[in-house]
Amino acid sequence: MIEDRAALGPDDSAPEPTEDEVQRPPGPARYRWYVLAAVVVALLALPLFRPVISSYNYVLTLGALILMWVAMSSSWNILGGYAGYISLGHSVFMGVGGYVAGVLLYYHGISPFLTALLGGLAAVALGFLAGFITLRTRGPAFIISTIALLFMFLLMTDNFEYLGGAAGLPLPPLPVSQEWLRVPFYYAMLFIAIGAVLTSYRVAHSKFGMGLRAISEDETKAEVAGVPTRLYKISAFAMSAFWVGVAGAIYGYSIAFIRPTVFFTIAISAQMVLMAIIGGKGTVAGPVVGAVLIYAINEMSLVVFGATEFNIVIQGTMLVAVLLFFPLGVVGTLRKMNRLPAFLNWD
Amino acid sequence: MPILEITDVSAGYGAGPDILRGLSLEVEEAKSYCIIGPNGAGKSTLLKVIAGLLHPRSGDVVFRGESLAHRRPDQVLATGVCFVPQDQALFPEMSVRENLIMGAYLVKDRALIKERLARVYEMFPILAERAGQDAGKMSGGQQQMLAMGRALMIDPILLMLDEPTLGLAPQIAQQIFSQVEQLKSMGLTVVIIEQNAQRGLELADWGVVLDLGIVRFEGPSEGILEDPRVRELYLGKAAGSREKK
Amino acid sequence: MTNVIQVAILGLLLGGVYALMAAGLTLAFGVMRIVNLAHAAFIIASAYISFFAFEQLGIDPLLSVVFVMPIMFFFGVAVYQVLFRRIEGSAKFGEMTVLLTFGIAIMVEGLLGFVFTGIYRKAQPGYANESFIVDGLFLPEGDILFIPKGQFYASLLSIVLLVGLWAFLRYSQTGYAIRATTQNRDAAEIVGVNVRRVSAISFGLSTALAGASGALMSYLFPFFPFRHWQWVAVLLALVVLGGMGSMKGAVIGALVLGVASSFVVDQIGPTWGPMTFYLALFLILLVRPQGLFGKEVPA
Repeated sequence: MIEDRAALGPDDSAPEPTEDEVQRPPGPARYRWYVLAAVVVALLALPLFRPVISSYNYVLTLGALILMWVAMSSSWNILGGYAGYISLGHSVFMGVGGYVAGVLLYYHGISPFLTALLGGLAAVALGFLAGFITLRTRGPAFIISTIALLFMFLLMTDNFEYLGGAAGLPLPPLPVSQEWLRVPFYYAMLFIAIGAVLTSYRVAHSKFGMGLRAISEDETKAEVAGVPTRLYKISAFAMSAFWVGVAGAIYGYSIAFIRPTVFFTIAISAQMVLMAIIGGKGTVAGPVVGAVLIYAINEMSLVVFGATEFNIVIQGTMLVAVLLFFPLGVVGTLRKMNRLPAFLNWD
Repeated sequence: MPILEITDVSAGYGAGPDILRGLSLEVEEAKSYCIIGPNGAGKSTLLKVIAGLLHPRSGDVVFRGESLAHRRPDQVLATGVCFVPQDQALFPEMSVRENLIMGAYLVKDRALIKERLARVYEMFPILAERAGQDAGKMSGGQQQMLAMGRALMIDPILLMLDEPTLGLAPQIAQQIFSQVEQLKSMGLTVVIIEQNAQRGLELADWGVVLDLGIVRFEGPSEGILEDPRVRELYLGKAAGSREKK
Repeated sequence: MTNVIQVAILGLLLGGVYALMAAGLTLAFGVMRIVNLAHAAFIIASAYISFFAFEQLGIDPLLSVVFVMPIMFFFGVAVYQVLFRRIEGSAKFGEMTVLLTFGIAIMVEGLLGFVFTGIYRKAQPGYANESFIVDGLFLPEGDILFIPKGQFYASLLSIVLLVGLWAFLRYSQTGYAIRATTQNRDAAEIVGVNVRRVSAISFGLSTALAGASGALMSYLFPFFPFRHWQWVAVLLALVVLGGMGSMKGAVIGALVLGVASSFVVDQIGPTWGPMTFYLALFLILLVRPQGLFGKEVPA
């Protein structure tokens, strides 16, 4: 008669553990918050160590820039990492923020430190509007439209005299003595970076964040499961714009001029993307790690190769190499190998 | 002498778990087989592995003495194994005729292609009628016939059909089944997956019940559905609860 | 009236060149679902080859197509084998190809800039600055039309290549295989097409078309490494507009937008030309996201 083969062979009914169930490294979770708090305190206190730091302004400027990139790549990550929608034109938001604050300063004398948040909101508004139109498509068409958006703004700012045209607008410097000039910008960027990372963290640990991840995995299934995909995507797009806009406003002020080619370039978007990916897109700590890493590598290659185009080659090569060999980025790969230090595990 | 021997095959998709878990099966020449089983049992996966669309993680697939386990799909096709997937896999913007000719992609002899085309048109007159029509614009039943006709262009030895009557109205499904009968009488070895177990087993000589990635039961198609163990497994708790009354 | 015809003709000629550029991009997407952000960078790299062939060896840019295309073909196949083969089966293929080609574009731009510096280049063969003069015909008294020779020859070559491509796809064995793979990759595999080989060849063809476009660009427009981003934005907008993967859509879109942007340039100003493409893109996304001839493309 017919035999029941299951009765004969081994019954392997235990499913293999999926990646999600990979065990987190053991150890007190609390301790990572203490480390982070310590880092933040150190960053806050940095400018106070004036007597000990040579080339004070350089260090503060460097710090401010790294913090800015931390903020921008973390923000990009909300759409690009969590939701999986790659925005290659994200620098458009930096420009919007920069121009809003810059124009208000130039024509009305209002300090960008006050209008920076307004710049962020303007970026959000653009994010909603653009998202509404462009997120009607998926994948490649969306990516292309973000690039088109960027170039549109480049073209517009290049051609409007009110905005200074191609030459841009020079901005009056902050009325503070040269010695302490970089300090306000440093603190502003620190505030922005903390804000951006916190936002990213909150999104990641929310229902909204889970929905975004579902969209990233399989949008159709997410929709079928009841996730309001269009609302979520547009919101993610808008949210990812805020801190980038704020950073843009402060950045413009810190270099004392706004000009189309400063903001509306692919190079800036590329940098955001690169940082998020190398650090580990889709993780909270990834963009932070990536920003620090890439900036360090950039500085080193500047020293070694000088300010030539070769630096771009290195960036491109890094992106390609990471995509092919370590697509999860530093944080992602470490986590997969169970070697992620607890203080970097913010997911 | 079995024409196809599947030995202890394990396979899965991407980095996912094993869908097939050490499956073994023998297929005899010129016989017809119907594979049934609950969803997720690995029926489609099995056919894909045989066709070379998915490589087994362990185990072997031997067809007429040759191992197919790590061959490319076109290499498998060249040995005479033809697979028609659930969605027929047609070329929507090509005409019926072009689709059929694509079926003979590996055939070099033009005269032979012509001959086979004529034969397919004879077997499936509806295809001859609509030779110039875009495949994407045909009805479900017609598309299935096109898919089968296309499979015949390579003059296969083993033909595998994954749910050929899925989504088709009963009359059309009947037509498909009679076509399969015809193929059987031509001496082809046929393996079909059929959700409608009754029908499928009527058609086939031998029934194979898959569950959780292995062959749980197999036997002559006539008696297999009668076996209470098979009923319990395949028809689920409904059968059991009915008995309780 | 004459002016309108003049502008329209210039637009058509421009569109012809755009069509060639977009065709390569569309081929890569249609067959392999690869969004090649490096396409324009390849075009510019080829432009450099033609430029230096002209400057150093006196080879006419139009003639240089003969060797630039094969060079770029093999380059494309190599790039495919080395880089894309690895990510072939992965789940996030679409996303990865975008990022990967983004990286490649940056690499190419950097290398070109490093080797050739950022100086504007433009080859100047004789016909680049001459025009055919058309008078009489149906034109009003005294009016003449200028048909720039350079643009004219470029469009002619573009037509020849596009027709050749069409014929190849339609009638050759490999062409059938390519079309089959474009329409249904799984089905193609099942009927015995070696989809890997077809993909590599298609990518090679795509870069070969970029090569030809580059040869044309070398004398049509001033170019420098960074320029590829502007081109990519325009080309990608075109491809989305036409419907991703539709060759027909890309060509028609190129011609239509070529004429449209020509009018924009004539009426509003030269810098606003590219804006036409971007606005058209956003318009199409609002009205018909799958483009003119595209199907609903799943993510």
